[in-house]
Amino acid sequence: MPELYLALLDRILTPVLLLLAVVFLLAGHNAPGGGFIAGLVVATAFLMQILARGDSFVRKLIGIYLQPAMGVGLLIALLSALTGIGNNGVFFQGVWWKLSLGSFELEFGSPTTFDIGVFLVVSAFVTSYLLELSRPAEGAAR
Amino acid sequence: MNINANWLAAPVVIPLLFAASSLLAATRVNLRQMRIQRNLALIASVLNLGVALLLLYTTTIQDQRMVLYAGLWQAPFGITLVADALSAIMLTLTAVLMVTIVLYAIGTLDQREGLNFHPLLLFLLMGVNGAFLAGDLFNLYVFFEVLLMASFVLLSLGGRPGQVNGGLRYVVLNLLASTVFLTTAGVVYGTLGTLNLAHLAVRMEAAPLTLRIIVAGMLLIAYGSKAGLFPLFFWLPASYHTPHPAVTAIFGGLLTKVGIYALFRVFTLLFPDLLQAWQPLLLGIAGLTMLAGVFGAMAVNTIRRVLSFHIISQVGYMVMGLGLASSGNQLAIGFGLAAGIFYIMHHMIVKTALLMAGGAAELTMGTGQLKEGYLGGLVKRFPLLAAVFFVAAFSLAGIPPSSGFVSKLGLLQAALDSQHWMIAGVSLLVSALTLMSMVRLWQKGFAGKQHEDVLPPPRRPIYGFTLAPIIILVVISLGMGIFSDTFIRWSQTAADQLIDRAGYIEAVAPTDVIAPVSMDH
Repeated sequence: MPELYLALLDRILTPVLLLLAVVFLLAGHNAPGGGFIAGLVVATAFLMQILARGDSFVRKLIGIYLQPAMGVGLLIALLSALTGIGNNGVFFQGVWWKLSLGSFELEFGSPTTFDIGVFLVVSAFVTSYLLELSRPAEGAAR
Repeated sequence: MNINANWLAAPVVIPLLFAASSLLAATRVNLRQMRIQRNLALIASVLNLGVALLLLYTTTIQDQRMVLYAGLWQAPFGITLVADALSAIMLTLTAVLMVTIVLYAIGTLDQREGLNFHPLLLFLLMGVNGAFLAGDLFNLYVFFEVLLMASFVLLSLGGRPGQVNGGLRYVVLNLLASTVFLTTAGVVYGTLGTLNLAHLAVRMEAAPLTLRIIVAGMLLIAYGSKAGLFPLFFWLPASYHTPHPAVTAIFGGLLTKVGIYALFRVFTLLFPDLLQAWQPLLLGIAGLTMLAGVFGAMAVNTIRRVLSFHIISQVGYMVMGLGLASSGNQLAIGFGLAAGIFYIMHHMIVKTALLMAGGAAELTMGTGQLKEGYLGGLVKRFPLLAAVFFVAAFSLAGIPPSSGFVSKLGLLQAALDSQHWMIAGVSLLVSALTLMSMVRLWQKGFAGKQHEDVLPPPRRPIYGFTLAPIIILVVISLGMGIFSDTFIRWSQTAADQLIDRAGYIEAVAPTDVIAPVSMDH
């Protein structure tokens, strides 16, 4: 059974880390942050879970989604790179869409979706890596 | 015909797209998922072949260069993809090998080994294609890493005892080479302020000689180790015989040649003067590589080990072409380079065919031992397999009318023309020794008789899917020998484009606004 302080820390830190990841993901591109960093932060949140609740809990929770998540992430990143080709553009050219919400204007572009793809790949990959590392050795006492 | 530059991204995008899609079908180990992955890989490799042929047509036959600035960032700021005739030839050969290896895998892989084999193969293809297209040193490094990681997992797929051992040596030594490469890239960026190859070609001319020697030497070590050159080849025979035969076949045909491609690209573009000054060094390495490979092949005793050592000896011939690049008397300058490129074309096709045939024999008999009585009798049991092995082996040894004869003849001509008697003699000697080694493989492995008390009779039949790709490759090799004028013309175009540095720089057209870091410190 994990230590009490780990369980407590997990309750506090996991939501903070996940929120931080969203902030990093959206702040990226022009400011510090981006998909890669956000992905690492999410993996850290899962690491907290592994420490606090054990690796088998996390594996049961998200194990089967990890490899498909990498695939989906790669596809999203690739497709956003390919959107540049439309309109006589070039591979990887940024495409920006504007969304008007009354007085508030939201800019959303293919670099952002690319970052989301990278985010999925990195978070899924690092999490699966951490899960493999935390698998107890065969025959070891739990 | 002018095709859109965006096509240059396709050799990287297609494998990645299909590899990502087949990751979605990798949640459970079962036959259906493996079939989905396999079909996706087959579609991807055929599409990739189509794109490669399109690029071959545009660059080689129409004698053009193609440049893609990803995201419209001008060189040297963004990622630049460049294809010239050499890149397109390498892409096409890779694409042909990929199609055949997917077919071969259908015939030879079992279910446990098959899971995730195909996505990994596609990641490998992406890395190799990217390395052939990269227009700057850093992306070359990145794609080298992509293919290294994919190949490491492929090496240890299946998890037989010897595999982890061989795979570990492979990955450690290759990572060392990569570290040297990355360090060099750092040195280059710190001193010349750019990594774009065309931009470097401009700035390297003005750089002091010491810097040029350091960078060229370190790159020679890094690429030479990846290509399996003397004395850095020892990782190759330690690892290539351990994985599944399908993996050995694609590695033997493909991986060392990426290092050779990088040597051809970097030395002709960045260091044309050193190509002349270092000619004794390059030819010496070439000769020693040939000899070390062929002598190594005589000392080992399983089919795939023998064939792995022959990869090394033949990489020597390619470097011999590079060493002869800047000399010529009667023949035009660049003929040696063209002969080297033709040798690469011949070698990639024939080596893969041989490794496939040898691997099929090993799989069927359960062993690749060449000692008396273990193998043998394959001529009677599998006459078709023996026939294709025979043709491929004699093409490797350089018997006419195969592609091996034409390519070795070209190199010999270039060596004699520029009066390099020594390397000409070594190449002839190694040719004769290769023939001997092939005869030994034939006698011990295929002809003769198997002693039933040593080994049980064959374990499983050889399927049509195993034989078909070998036959395709052998036919291509014979075609390259018989219609050699076309292929020599293509290699000549590629060599001319490599020597025409100004054309490459003009095609990429790097803007020169960042000043190089001063050399004072």
